[in-house]
Amino acid sequence: MVSFELLFPISIVAGFIGAMAGMGGGVVIIPVLTLLGVDIKRAIAISILSVIATSSGSASAYIRDHITNLKVGMFLEMFTIVGALVGAKITLAVSPKPLYIIFGLVLLASWLALFAAKDEMGHTGAQDRITNWLELEGSYPDQALGQVVHYKARRAYFGAPLMYLAGMIAGLLGIGAGAVKVLIHDLVMGLPPKVSTTTSNMIIGVTALAGASVYLVAGLIDPGLAAPVILGIAVGAFLGTRLLVRMSNQAVRRFFLFILLILAVEMIVRGVRGGL
Amino acid sequence: MIPDPESSAKKQIGSSAVELGETKQQFDMDALVGYILLIGVLISLALVIAALIWRWADTRTLAFDYRIAGMNLFQLLLNEIRLGMQGALRPRLLLSLGIAMLMLTPYIRVLASMVYFMVSLKNWKYSVFTAVVLLTLTYSLFLR
Repeated sequence: MVSFELLFPISIVAGFIGAMAGMGGGVVIIPVLTLLGVDIKRAIAISILSVIATSSGSASAYIRDHITNLKVGMFLEMFTIVGALVGAKITLAVSPKPLYIIFGLVLLASWLALFAAKDEMGHTGAQDRITNWLELEGSYPDQALGQVVHYKARRAYFGAPLMYLAGMIAGLLGIGAGAVKVLIHDLVMGLPPKVSTTTSNMIIGVTALAGASVYLVAGLIDPGLAAPVILGIAVGAFLGTRLLVRMSNQAVRRFFLFILLILAVEMIVRGVRGGL
Repeated sequence: MIPDPESSAKKQIGSSAVELGETKQQFDMDALVGYILLIGVLISLALVIAALIWRWADTRTLAFDYRIAGMNLFQLLLNEIRLGMQGALRPRLLLSLGIAMLMLTPYIRVLASMVYFMVSLKNWKYSVFTAVVLLTLTYSLFLR
């Protein structure tokens, strides 16, 4: 049994990093829990539960600041939750070792792609017909730029199946998979970085709920672990959110890139070493 | 043809008025969804904190050692309430309720969005999308 006194501060740090990068904090908490001797499937189950708290806590502030796009979120949630159900079922059934390596490699490739891309404002140009029919556009007040940013999403037909895969990774690994979701929003659908980060945060909540239900029924959610992790991560996320709204898109992107690189290396190393 | 400056100015005003109306509706929904998420998480955290304080007062430890075995969310809730009514297991009941409240929070958010798209915006497209999300989530909460 891992002590509350140890797990609580660790969870605060995890939640802080998660909110800053539009992720759920699971990326930090899962390796820590396994290092402390918790079975990987239990770690995944606790993590995905805590992801609901982080996501909902920070999404709350972003939505009230009018940065989150509710339509983009709702459309993409249809795909992520089905993915999460499938992903969690897979985790219950198999050893996820090779998937860790693939996941790490995909992240690494995305890191290179995102590193090269620079787009502060999002897209205002022509939309394809499907995305236009889906009414995926919007505007938000940017505090750092001091103006209202208008944008139009694109390529929803491509973003949707990719979000199914992102949901699957979330359910499979018990993380928000915010990194993957933000990438899809940024690179495929052309949303401004802040909109993609905050909308991803909202989507993560329902995606995690779908995954958590599977783990709950499987009896993998340990209430004794859940208490310090949920509390700590919520406190950390609250602090992280307060910081994000005041930062520029460039700063958010730089921080996100840094986290993404660590995440990619961590996944690959764990997959290769097989220390799941 | 030279455009009539007065009529184009009117159009301008007309369209910005529509935009304003939409922005205002969007504002209401943003606030509602935001507060649903905030209040849900706060209630859940309050329950977890209350469980921990109670546990500490009773046993001088913050550790909980019980398992939730093979139950979906509603079975868990029913089971804990039944145990709670029999007495003695109250800190544990609060913790389980905290976990349940956490899981219900995004669910309630989707439910509220559904009402908003259907009733307030009358947007059938997004009503259908939200219904799909809601049905899938409902299915996942009743898994066995």
